Amino acid sequence: MIKVHLKIKRFNPEKDKKPWWGEYDVEVEPTDRVLDAIHEVKWNIDGTLALRRSCAHGVCGSDAMRINGRNRLACHRLIRDEIQNGQITIEPLLGLRVIKDLIVDMEPFFAHYRSIMPYLVNDTDPGPRERLQSPEDRARFDDTTKCILCAACTTSCPSFWARGEYVGPAAIVQAHRFIFDSRDQGAAERLEVLGDSNGVWRCRTVFNCTEACPRGIEVTKAIGEVKQAIATGKVR
Amino acid sequence: MSALISTVRASLSYRGREGHWLWLLHRVSGLGVLLFLILHVAGMSSAFISIEIHDRLLEMYKTPLFSIGELALAFGLIFHAVNGTRIAILELKPELWQKQQLATRLAIIIVVLLAAPTIIIMALGSINAFFGPAAGH
Ligand code: HEM
Ligand code: HEM
Ligand code: SF4
Ligand code: FES
Repeated sequence: MIKVHLKIKRFNPEKDKKPWWGEYDVEVEPTDRVLDAIHEVKWNIDGTLALRRSCAHGVCGSDAMRINGRNRLACHRLIRDEIQNGQITIEPLLGLRVIKDLIVDMEPFFAHYRSIMPYLVNDTDPGPRERLQSPEDRARFDDTTKCILCAACTTSCPSFWARGEYVGPAAIVQAHRFIFDSRDQGAAERLEVLGDSNGVWRCRTVFNCTEACPRGIEVTKAIGEVKQAIATGKVR
Repeated sequence: MSALISTVRASLSYRGREGHWLWLLHRVSGLGVLLFLILHVAGMSSAFISIEIHDRLLEMYKTPLFSIGELALAFGLIFHAVNGTRIAILELKPELWQKQQLATRLAIIIVVLLAAPTIIIMALGSINAFFGPAAGH
């Protein structure tokens, strides 16, 4: 067991005028996750600490937060990899309104997600069987199927901080997953949405999203491919 | 305005990697050069209004403060041009993204290689002008 000093940014809009730092000392294993240390606080020190988490195994995407200044899943990062001089700093995601402590309002994020039609669009009759696809065609968009909608990418993006109307990396990743799917026919409509002034051209190729994604998705590359599809009018 | 402040605060507090800091420097250098360009053209245009004001401006350019500003301008231009080229190449070839760390380091090396001699030569020239045998002429 090792001692960890946790600095957690707290804010309860019903009581606090400004965010403040909650400081807690906990004992955890170096191989525990950061989430375990936060649980230690919530369960044994201060039950009023608010956070989202569900699966605790990097699948549901609900516990993205800023750990030592970078967007990470708390259930994904080990104490020994994050501890710096005995301390770990935890803050809510940037660019979304804080509802309480580590919980931010995800609605604008999901509104952007819905805006790119995140479902298969194809009005032709598939016949009595499923729509078939070659392994190569399936591989074309494999990377972007891995997204768990945690918002780590979108809330690491300077363009999104500056302008909440920007659809953001996650929505573009989700659009990429369908635009480059050979069974889908909605590419033109999605490229229309992503080609407008709050679409892909707000991307400044900063690579924060690629660096933040807990699923290792090549986010900036996916955005680049969508940019090219819009610029050339060709989906390849 | 508060959106601007919160964006600046977020940009400075997010612990991104090289790409994040290069982006910040790219914007600052772009806006800095733009500001210079506006003042520059305004300063040159002053000749239309009064040669006297124009001459006084030109005298002002010979002060140490402006010499230091010139160094910042030279660095800003070189950085912006090299880094801008890096961004443009990555934009045009998304498949190169896996090499982005390398591209970042290369850009930094090229900036240093170009900026170091430029700044040294400019600084030596200024030091000579201010403190050398011909100083004051
Ligand atoms: C020397 C050749 C130059 C090159 C290769 C270059 C390249 C670029 C590129 C590629 C961008 C887009 C950056 C991005 O998408 O993140 C950009 C942005 C910008 N440039 Fe330049 N540029 C040059 C000269 C200049 C000059 C002379 C000025 C000012 C008069 C300037 C001012 C700006 C500004 C204000 C931005 C916006 C910054 C931002 O969006 O963050 N650039 N430049
Ligand atoms: C410190 C370095 C610089 C010096 C000493 C300098 C000097 C001058 C001078 C003497 C002129 C007048 C030329 C003429 O009318 O015959 C001029 C014009 C001009 N310069 Fe520069 N310059 C510098 C940097 C720059 C930079 C970095 C840019 C671009 C971002 C720039 C853009 C221009 C433009 C557009 C003009 C023509 C407009 C005008 O005459 O007002 N200069 N410069
Ligand atoms: S692309 Fe990655 S970082 Fe962005 S929402 Fe999906 S899983 Fe999270
Ligand atoms: S709790 Fe589900 S991803 Fe972390």
